[in-house]
Amino acid sequence: MSAANDKNDYLDYTPQTFPAPEPTAEQDRTRIHYLNNENTLRSWLLTVDHKRIGLLYLFSVTFFFLFGGIAAMLVRTNLITPTGAILELDQYNKAFTAHGTIMLFLFLIPVIPGVLGNFLIPMMIGAKDLAFPKLNLLSWYVFMAGASLFVWQLLVGGIDTGWTLYPPYSSKYSQNSILYAGLGIFVTGFSSILTGVNIIATIHKMRAPGMTWGRLPLFCWAMYATSVIQLLGTPVIAVTVVMLAVERVFGVGIFDPNLGGDPILFQHMFWFYSHPAVYIMILPGMGVISEVLTCFARKNIFGYKAVAWSSVGIAVVGFLVWGHHMFISGQGYYLGMVFAFLTMLVAVPSAIKVFNWTATLYGGSITYQAPMIHAIGFIVLFTIGGLTGLYLGTMGTDIHLHDTYFVIAHFHFTMVGGMMFAWQAGLHFWWPKMTGKMYSDFWSRLAAVIMITGFALTFLPQFVVGYLGMPRRYPNYPEEFQFYNIMSTAGASIQGLGYLMPVFYLTASLFFGRPAGNNPFKATGLEWQTQSPPHPHNFETTPAVYFGPYEYGVENGLSIFTNENGDHLPTDTTTPKEGVTSGS
Amino acid sequence: MAASTSAAGPVAHHFDSMNQQHATVRLGMWLFLVTEVLFFGGVFCAYTAYRIWYPQDFDAGSAALNVGIATVNTFLLLLSSLTITLAIRSAYVSDRRGLQRNLLLTIVLAAAFLGLKAREYHLDYEEGLIPSTEMIRKMEKVEVVDPKTGEKSIRQEEVLVSKFNHALVEVLDREGYKGVPGKDYDPYRVQLFFMFYYSMTGLHVLHMVIGLGLLTWQFILASNGFFDYQSRYVYIEAMSLYWHFVDMVWMFILPLLYLCGPHTFDQAVHQFKHAIGMSGSH
Amino acid sequence: MAHDHHSHSTELHEQETGVHTVPPISTTLVTFGVLASLAVLALFIGFSNDLGGMKVVASLTVATVQAGVLAYFFMDLKQADALTWLVAASALFWTGLLFLFTLTDYLTRHLGVL
Repeated sequence: MSAANDKNDYLDYTPQTFPAPEPTAEQDRTRIHYLNNENTLRSWLLTVDHKRIGLLYLFSVTFFFLFGGIAAMLVRTNLITPTGAILELDQYNKAFTAHGTIMLFLFLIPVIPGVLGNFLIPMMIGAKDLAFPKLNLLSWYVFMAGASLFVWQLLVGGIDTGWTLYPPYSSKYSQNSILYAGLGIFVTGFSSILTGVNIIATIHKMRAPGMTWGRLPLFCWAMYATSVIQLLGTPVIAVTVVMLAVERVFGVGIFDPNLGGDPILFQHMFWFYSHPAVYIMILPGMGVISEVLTCFARKNIFGYKAVAWSSVGIAVVGFLVWGHHMFISGQGYYLGMVFAFLTMLVAVPSAIKVFNWTATLYGGSITYQAPMIHAIGFIVLFTIGGLTGLYLGTMGTDIHLHDTYFVIAHFHFTMVGGMMFAWQAGLHFWWPKMTGKMYSDFWSRLAAVIMITGFALTFLPQFVVGYLGMPRRYPNYPEEFQFYNIMSTAGASIQGLGYLMPVFYLTASLFFGRPAGNNPFKATGLEWQTQSPPHPHNFETTPAVYFGPYEYGVENGLSIFTNENGDHLPTDTTTPKEGVTSGS
Repeated sequence: MAASTSAAGPVAHHFDSMNQQHATVRLGMWLFLVTEVLFFGGVFCAYTAYRIWYPQDFDAGSAALNVGIATVNTFLLLLSSLTITLAIRSAYVSDRRGLQRNLLLTIVLAAAFLGLKAREYHLDYEEGLIPSTEMIRKMEKVEVVDPKTGEKSIRQEEVLVSKFNHALVEVLDREGYKGVPGKDYDPYRVQLFFMFYYSMTGLHVLHMVIGLGLLTWQFILASNGFFDYQSRYVYIEAMSLYWHFVDMVWMFILPLLYLCGPHTFDQAVHQFKHAIGMSGSH
Repeated sequence: MAHDHHSHSTELHEQETGVHTVPPISTTLVTFGVLASLAVLALFIGFSNDLGGMKVVASLTVATVQAGVLAYFFMDLKQADALTWLVAASALFWTGLLFLFTLTDYLTRHLGVL
């Protein structure tokens, strides 16, 4: 009994065959995987399988993304004319607040950790599930509860303070939806925390034998760093929202100057989380890019250690720079100088990644499937976004640029041009793994190009108009800016079309897509060495790992697995699979 | 401690060994406690910022608190930390009776803490120490200058004063606080202190209530034999980590909120007696 | 056997090290005694009124020592692995960062432009 319970001798396993052999058509129809092993509603809503929970998150965040997108279209449409085309002043405030809050809290923060993190991390490290499967399910329910409350409040009353909720407006003058919306945010924060706990514990304690930190896929490094930020930052915004709520309920203020309070204290505590929050958003995306670039350039990552440790660097230094949002708020000058200097430092790890990715591409054998198009779009757009951040991080130029459209363009370049495209890259890269189906190559590439084009048209003019002085969050603007705004709105429509397209062709792939096989892109991760869709337990036995995560382009490349005789199985990782680049 | 009841329990399907499972559970709870430290850290930071700005006013606010109840509560909570540590030992040696007893003691001590805390809040309410913008009418001596003759006289007049300020001054008078409102402290700033008092102790109470619920759940599980498997003691250990953290927060709340103002031991005794209804005079 | 090729290139799960035991009751009781004494000391400091500015420093020091004893013995940091220590230290360090930067604002804002 103790021998069965206490499997000290991991060496004594009967290995399944790695990589799993490609299924025959008969096997493909009849074999068990995580989607068909149980089919009741109960088995979905009470699942503890991390893969199913990943799909639950996929449905949720897509749903909320559509909401946020509608809010964006309201904002952009209203800005066609200098005096506001379709919305009243109050409605406009509610529209941009809704857009910001939904996209940040209900889409960008949960999307990759919730969908790809949940789905892939156990598989990438050779585990059967996350450390705390039931907590994982709870995490999704908590997310849904908080998000539903929040969206409901937006619909019945709306909040009009901007996503930053600054007092005294939010504490004294704005209306009551703030309280319940704040509660919604508080609750979704718990989801963030629980996911973070799960991921950190999993990566520390559940790696397969041989999966050292130096062999961990960079996606896992990035998710680890993200989870650390989630743990350290989210509680602070939670308590800040609590204090804001206390202030609203009692009517006497912690942040009210009339009573000796300081509105800037709110800003300090708000941004202590909200700046690292943008790293929560981007780091998982960066992890995805490392995976996608290596696969589609058929090349090992350049500078694995640099990329891995830069994730940690971003997580740490990202906590030291929040005051760059507050240069003109009234915080002390001395502190502002410190923050400006540290902001220059935080750009360095991101830049290290970009250089390493570029070097990875150099000399690679590149093919341009949809994930790769998105990934290259990411590199270009994120770099632009990052560089423009430097102007904002310098106190002097920030005085001119703060609260203008320059800021809006900057963060949309990093969050949409960066994170959104990284999400698209990841979704398209792992879709065959998650569903076992291949989507249309033509439509996916077209959608990628449309998204990138639309994005550029939307946000490049905003740099110009912001520099020229157009303030953010204003529904009215001077006549001379109208041209830029129209361009921007036109771009937004094209972008919107681009984002809708995957909904259609990915759904179509579920019914009409050809079976993808286990490893359509001939990638080297552990997750690609088993069947698509994966078995409910991922691996029948715990694998043992001998090589790094990106052993591409190795002549007669050795598999990272052995068979039961201890022979390394040769796998050809030099040539992409035939037929992947053609349509179905 | 029969051999059959100290059997190791089953390993969860996604773990390879019991040791791995234990280590993961402990790590998971420590990671959660990180978030709790940052959570309380946030409100403590806000408190500290204002303490730097308004030291006098925060002193005055502290002087109005019931330090007698706080003193007794400190020892109740410390004792509960002891009993839950003993509960881990009981689970480790598969002593079901001992585990039930120690968990129950912890629950009782926690409930006693919460009961005294409720009483404390009730007394605060009775004394009117709730921050609010409400104004009440009060008779006060006012210096009046006759516009025609320029003569100054003192008259009793009805004035509007802040309800909280009025209550605060009364309480501080009773406690013998040697400060003059308006000169040594600003009652409006003391409202800020009281916001923190209610927020910080309130959040602490919330965590204790949740802890109490979890302890009760574990007690029920223990009574049903869940912890007869020796390997499951790790869940008691995880619970104790949370509980010790709650105790730790109190260790900082006590000096920051209660003890920073001037108090004497006699005052504490008197306040506690009054709280539990022993002394009549007030 | 399948052992040979695993020998140098694989490593044990992290979890294979560090089996915990429960400390003897005497340790637990003595720790409680120390904590209770520190609580008495904290109250003594709190009830004394002639420390002036040192009062806050003294009571926070006592609270820190109490927290340390609680963490080391009752929360079992004594037996914990390096990772747990790192986790605990990070929590304190990050709280410290929050305090450091925010309070710097409150302590230097009045200085104006330097």
